Amino acid sequence: MSDQLTSGPSRPWGHALVAAVTMRTLVLTSPLLAVGCTWLAAHRTMPAVGIVLVLLAAACAARPDSHLGLLVVVVIGIQWLATVHNRTTPWSVGAAVALAVFHASMAAATVASPAAPWTRAMCRRWVRRLVILIAGSAGTWLIVSAVNRHRPASGSVLVVASLVALAIAGLWARDGTIRAHPPE
Amino acid sequence: MKSADRWRPTAAHARAVLSALVLAVVAVLARRPDMLVLATPFAGAAVWAVLLRPTCAPEIRQSLDHSAVHEGEATTWRLCVHDPEGRVDDVAVALNTTEWTEQLPVDGQVVVSLRDDSDQPLAIGIRTTRWGHHRIGPARVAATSAWAGFRWVSGSAADARMLVALPQPSRFDASTPPVHTPGLVGVNRSPQQNNGTEFASIRPFQTGDRLRRIHWPQSLRTGTLHVTSTWADHDRHVVLFVDALSDVGESGGVDGRPSSLDIAVRAAGAIAEHYVSTGDGVALVLLDHRGLHRVPPATGRRHLRRLLDVLATARPARNRFDDDGRIPRGLTPGALVVMLSPLASPAALQRAVTMANHGLTVLVVDCLPPEVVDDRRDPHVALSRRIRSLEREREVRRVGQTGIAVVSWRGPGSLDEVLRDLKRHAGPRIRARS
Repeated sequence: MSDQLTSGPSRPWGHALVAAVTMRTLVLTSPLLAVGCTWLAAHRTMPAVGIVLVLLAAACAARPDSHLGLLVVVVIGIQWLATVHNRTTPWSVGAAVALAVFHASMAAATVASPAAPWTRAMCRRWVRRLVILIAGSAGTWLIVSAVNRHRPASGSVLVVASLVALAIAGLWARDGTIRAHPPE
Repeated sequence: MKSADRWRPTAAHARAVLSALVLAVVAVLARRPDMLVLATPFAGAAVWAVLLRPTCAPEIRQSLDHSAVHEGEATTWRLCVHDPEGRVDDVAVALNTTEWTEQLPVDGQVVVSLRDDSDQPLAIGIRTTRWGHHRIGPARVAATSAWAGFRWVSGSAADARMLVALPQPSRFDASTPPVHTPGLVGVNRSPQQNNGTEFASIRPFQTGDRLRRIHWPQSLRTGTLHVTSTWADHDRHVVLFVDALSDVGESGGVDGRPSSLDIAVRAAGAIAEHYVSTGDGVALVLLDHRGLHRVPPATGRRHLRRLLDVLATARPARNRFDDDGRIPRGLTPGALVVMLSPLASPAALQRAVTMANHGLTVLVVDCLPPEVVDDRRDPHVALSRRIRSLEREREVRRVGQTGIAVVSWRGPGSLDEVLRDLKRHAGPRIRARS
């Protein structure tokens, strides 16, 4: 028996709040960063979309374990598609970074309740993985830029092949998500 | 595998899969390769989560470092997590506790990275702030895989632990010699001379004296046989009668102001500890919402623990309890009965009078807190309390006139004066004729 609470982890409430507030701030600001990248790539923006995104992001920050995040991604994608016409703009990497931060911070916010203090190892691991995703986006942009320079044939065969590949990937992801045992 | 033990996809995983697919399909159909750049983070997170999806539930085991502590002391609740596949990333725990416990972290919630931190930090400090039986748990455990893509939540609500907070005995000692008791085995000196260890005198030999008691030097000097006489040793039999039917005042726990039940339980623990340490037999009679609970007299540390365990179960009666004022069975004449009660109802004092009339030495310890919060906002409540207080004073005075001592609990030496008086007037008590 000990006379004081000595054996438990002695991190104060403030430590827990720092992690929770940081994640929710990122959820709130990263869609705005994506809007900024869109504006820089297209030199114009749609204010109404910005307002909708702020409201949706606030709702996502309040309820990170909801499907509202999907709506935010769809809205950002539609805005990008409608306003940006430069297919190789480097700002696409900025928008991808913003989307990656948004997804990662929302997912991290669902790991534990805001009252639970995060450990340093958890923070390091999440940041490390986020950097890997961002690096993947940059790699995709390099590939897209290189391929676009050669003006590939916009044939229907390539489109069909791409769609088939996406369908197979979708089925694989569905099986891995729904079934108890993931595909080997 | 039960459905509750399955790993389930989260909203984060659904977002990653659907966002990746939608953006990629749009990229292909609209011939916009830049959309693939936007889809990449989601595709990466989705593939990562699916590839590292755990298939079997982690094994968890909860434990408490101690099953019993004294109130005010702390112990640690721990969770051990065994992940056979090594695919669990983060483990979050939320521990439920009852009233009168403090936790560290304050909210009873911790989260760790199972792979990097191990499960060592999955520990929550528990400090009990009042005696009693406290339920610790069940803990809600949530484990997540890579990218929080899949989540497993423990479904067992039965895995709670009981933590017994023994009353922290008040400081108490008594230097008074024992009151008249009938037994002849023990560590206390009896008023009678008989077989014992403590020297009394050297007296002439009488028929029946043992030969080994002959004091040869004195016998040779005087020419007649003399023997060494000793004081008999005897046991003291103390009965603690705790009236827990009502709890007057608001308890502030071990660090705050005590209620009447706090005073009674802690005082009973202190008296029991004192008499057990001197080798006396201590019995306990607890009167609470369940009725009478008896612990027969015995000695030793084990018995003291048993007494404290029973005291920790005391709960006041929420509804009106039909207290008939009868004395409990098993009280032997000559025992010293220490009754601890807030004397909230006349039945308690009536019981003390009845016990005294049955030849028992009764000492009543008044456990009413010195400063009970007076509700002055409601004049009717204040008036009724005042009336009851006056009635109580009159009842105590009347009981005092019958020879039963009523003292307030003041900690060390509380009972010395009264026990000294009882010793002075000790004699064979005669059962009163009804």
